[in-house]
Amino acid sequence: MTRTLKHVVLLLIVVIWVVPFIALVTTSLRSETASKTSGFWTAFTPTELGHRFGTHSRDETEPFVSMSGNIFDRLNAERDSFDVTGEVKSILFKGRVPDPDNEGNTKLIRKLIFAGEPMDVRGGEFVFASNGDFIWTFAEATAAKPKNLDAFINQDPVFGTDAYVEVLFENKNVPNALISSFIVTIPATIIPITIAAFAAYAFAWMRFPGRDWLFVVVVSLMVVPTQLAFLPVLQGFSGIASWATSLNAWMTDCELTQTCKVASKSFASLWVTHTAFGLPLAIYLLRNYIVGLPKELLESARIDGASHLQIFTRLIIPLSVPALASFSIFQFLWVWNDLIVALYIGPADSADLVFPIRLQKQLGTFKDQLHLLNASAVISMIIPVIVFLSMQRYFIRGLLAGSVKGG
Amino acid sequence: MAQVELKGVKKSFGKTDVIRDVNLQINDGEFVVFVGPSGCGKSTLLRLIAGLEELSSGEIHIADRAVMDLPPSKRGIAMVFQSYALYPHMSVFHNMAFSLDLQGVSKAEIHERVLAAAKILQMEHLLDRRPAALSGGQRQRVAIGRAIVRNPDVFLFDEPLSNLDAALRHDTRVEIAKLHKQLGATTVYVTHDQVEAMTLADKIVVLKDGEVMQVGSPMDLFKSPANEFVAGFLGSPKMNFFEGELTGGAGTDQGHFKGEGLTLSGVRLVSTDKSVGDKILLGIRPQHMTLDSDGLLKGRATLVERLGTETVVELLTEQGTSFRFACPEMLDIATGQDVSFSIDAARAHLF
Repeated sequence: MTRTLKHVVLLLIVVIWVVPFIALVTTSLRSETASKTSGFWTAFTPTELGHRFGTHSRDETEPFVSMSGNIFDRLNAERDSFDVTGEVKSILFKGRVPDPDNEGNTKLIRKLIFAGEPMDVRGGEFVFASNGDFIWTFAEATAAKPKNLDAFINQDPVFGTDAYVEVLFENKNVPNALISSFIVTIPATIIPITIAAFAAYAFAWMRFPGRDWLFVVVVSLMVVPTQLAFLPVLQGFSGIASWATSLNAWMTDCELTQTCKVASKSFASLWVTHTAFGLPLAIYLLRNYIVGLPKELLESARIDGASHLQIFTRLIIPLSVPALASFSIFQFLWVWNDLIVALYIGPADSADLVFPIRLQKQLGTFKDQLHLLNASAVISMIIPVIVFLSMQRYFIRGLLAGSVKGG
Repeated sequence: MAQVELKGVKKSFGKTDVIRDVNLQINDGEFVVFVGPSGCGKSTLLRLIAGLEELSSGEIHIADRAVMDLPPSKRGIAMVFQSYALYPHMSVFHNMAFSLDLQGVSKAEIHERVLAAAKILQMEHLLDRRPAALSGGQRQRVAIGRAIVRNPDVFLFDEPLSNLDAALRHDTRVEIAKLHKQLGATTVYVTHDQVEAMTLADKIVVLKDGEVMQVGSPMDLFKSPANEFVAGFLGSPKMNFFEGELTGGAGTDQGHFKGEGLTLSGVRLVSTDKSVGDKILLGIRPQHMTLDSDGLLKGRATLVERLGTETVVELLTEQGTSFRFACPEMLDIATGQDVSFSIDAARAHLF
């Protein structure tokens, strides 16, 4: 009973998480019209849709007795992507036929003509098959004008990457956001994890006065919310920036070109902020991992003559890879997805905006272009997924196997 | 001349004294075994020599150098841990080469010394493997190899065999004994297993509650234990003790004993502070009693264990003291049977 319940709950969680993702990806791969007119769940099954096609182009004026062609070829000739395929169900006939009630007169009718049935188009006989082939025959050679017909097609699912191409290559906003996000995220992951690894080793294995109290202080810093610290942090950065501006003015001749001003909001300020707020958790996690490494291993290294630094670099780091990897994923995700810190402390220049801010701005510009918005969102999501998958191989079980008894 | 010398060594953790005033001399090339029950401080004493713990007071000299202020790596020691403590991310070769590499020894020399050590231990074929791919016995050999490579003045072994199964333990024990003969290096070996102590040691140091009970060769300790603890600790099955009274010979080394229906004279008297009439313990090993229908020591068998090579009978005297009798013959003593023994005063002890 509890097992089934567990499975149901698990399944529910998976569905809740996966459905929006599928919606996002699907929508980003559909055509603009499709994403506007129907929901993403209709994208996977054939849907009956109306398409208008021309029998031939206007510049073909050669008279003919019989012309054959394919509805799909005609349709897709005007498209770069999202080619229509499927089965032609019917064509809407709209025209005048002899009126049986009123001899000698004609009347206007609208009627669905199905595959194989002949219909009169501009005096010729027009027959189509469900695979789209049609034959249009006249009694004598005629230079018929092109006719636009409405075909109802049971259309196969069709996907295309147009939205991605548009988002990535049409203008530089998304590529710039990608680059900025990397510029922010990579140092903001590497810097804290490096500092934290050193600190964690010290807290775990070095003896110094007040060690445990200091550790408690560091860990308790985790409760300080980032938002609370915005004001003082910003003040600090603007102080540094104005100091740097004066230094710049004094050291260089920037006054001539009026380029003395050093921005207080920059990539560097983001690195510092993310490092500062990431460190307590990083130290806490890594220290708890490193303190669990077998004591004999470190003692053995001490007898072998290793200094603290050598123990750290040659023993602790290789053996802490799983912990380092899991924290880097945490930190990478947090920084990559961070909107608020970047908004307040990050660079304000449009070319330097990070991805979450760019997405937020696109909400305004692409309000009714869901496929573009979703394509950007997928691009921003795919990076952490790649990072996660590539880090996955470092989550090695039994890394300590063979070192100590039972290890 | 002493290779390792401990003078007034004391160690306390907080208010608990773990090692109280240990004085000890270990000679060059000697195989010394620290033995005692768990918690007696034998491992701590080893770690003090290694430099992994700091002395509370006292002096330690290794190869005529005071080493109290030296880090472990500068003391000229190498240690083999109970848990092997191999570096799991390095191959066997690099495990063994680690210390040399840190010393900045040249690549060629490292190669040579590791190969030499591997040859001694017959594990050249294991050099490329990771510790995870080795069996328990092989891991232990790598740990020993790591110690050999350093070419130390003193080898320290901290219960190296207690993680191995019984058969392997015996083989490795024999191997360690051979190795010691081959290398001739001073060795300090910690164990709680008296069989290991008796078979390996040139000199046994029996410890209890952080104090040295007795130091001596295995046979000295076996034949003339300095106190009840040493007598009871060494030998299997355990020595029998009977309560009684000292009836004569106080102050000499030969005492007279009366108790449990026994009257013995000329027994080795260990305690010098007892006077006639004091309560005293008679100790006799289970193997040193003889079946004798006229014997004065009577008991009723409560349990008979036949081990094939030996028969061990557990008995109870009329006074309710339990004791054991061991004999290499197959005996047909049944549980509940009354048995009499005579005791050779020359092989008994008075504590």
